[in-house]
Amino acid sequence: MKKRYFSTFELVLLALLAALVVVAKISLRLPLQLSGHSGIFWMAIIIVAAGIVPKLGAVSLVGLTSGILAAFLGLGDFGALNTLLSYTAVGVGADLALWLLRNPENLVVATLAGTLGHMAKFLVKWGMAAITGAPVGFVALGLARALLGYLVFGALGGLLGGLTLRALRRAGFFAYLAEKR
Amino acid sequence: MERVNDMTQRTRILIALGVLVALAALVLGVDAWQRAQLGPEPELPPGSIPIRMDGRLVGGFTAGDLEALQEASFVDAEEGKTQDGWMLRDVLLLRVKRSALRPTTLVRVSSSSRGKTVEVIWAEVDDPANMVMFDLSGRGTLKLVSLLPQLDVRDEWVQDVDGIEIVSRGESE
Repeated sequence: MKKRYFSTFELVLLALLAALVVVAKISLRLPLQLSGHSGIFWMAIIIVAAGIVPKLGAVSLVGLTSGILAAFLGLGDFGALNTLLSYTAVGVGADLALWLLRNPENLVVATLAGTLGHMAKFLVKWGMAAITGAPVGFVALGLARALLGYLVFGALGGLLGGLTLRALRRAGFFAYLAEKR
Repeated sequence: MERVNDMTQRTRILIALGVLVALAALVLGVDAWQRAQLGPEPELPPGSIPIRMDGRLVGGFTAGDLEALQEASFVDAEEGKTQDGWMLRDVLLLRVKRSALRPTTLVRVSSSSRGKTVEVIWAEVDDPANMVMFDLSGRGTLKLVSLLPQLDVRDEWVQDVDGIEIVSRGESE
């Protein structure tokens, strides 16, 4: 019998983390008037997902699942398609970054993967704005600042995720997971 | 694939950093090119949102102008989310004298990309209890929100605002 790429246990874990992304987006609100500040918890969860299920495509799946959930819950200001694509982009971006960089428990790697994942979300939002003809002038004026916000909060989220993975390892979580698998 | 496997971690990190810098440069470069193609209205600095009064351009405002204004906020009833930003009243008074505005003067806020337009009268805009204000969206565009019944839920808000028109002609005394 052909072995499946993701086990049922891994799929359950990834689905839970995808739900956690959406719950965090709804419930955790930082009183910051800065673009992309939600990346601080968003990317942390994505990096944790990459550490718990260390397979290419795992965080893309988290991104896609959370995007579907968020689209159905009506999250985001710019429509379901924008929401779905931007959530998915976070996962795909982080996945590609981790394919290159490997171990998300390395704090430099986690920070960079978080930054690149969040950058992917920014690119989708920026691209969608360009396609739909949003007021480019005003976007342009705040674009550099918005981009910087996405990069900084993505990096902080990635770092937080890396630290969380290290803490989980110290707590014996990965040994526990190995038994369950 | 094998090439990637053979790389040292230092090389991988440098490549990732290079990709990041290249993407940021691409975004800013394309954006600068787009702005150059657009050719902004001659009287306004690039990125301004124009304010017209009876069809005549009276000025515009930028993010820098907004930062000088007092911030306002309220919690919207639909989602319980805090809307933070700047009162439309204060924004208009940057470029239009209060004496030029009567209670029945029509203020039309529009978004060409969304195909949305909302009309409110100055009396509604000027009443602080209505909280007719702009909230700054995550990607740096303005969204008109309010406690007014015709503007208090997401579907009624005007996202990506790119124009304001004040109509005073023909109004009743």
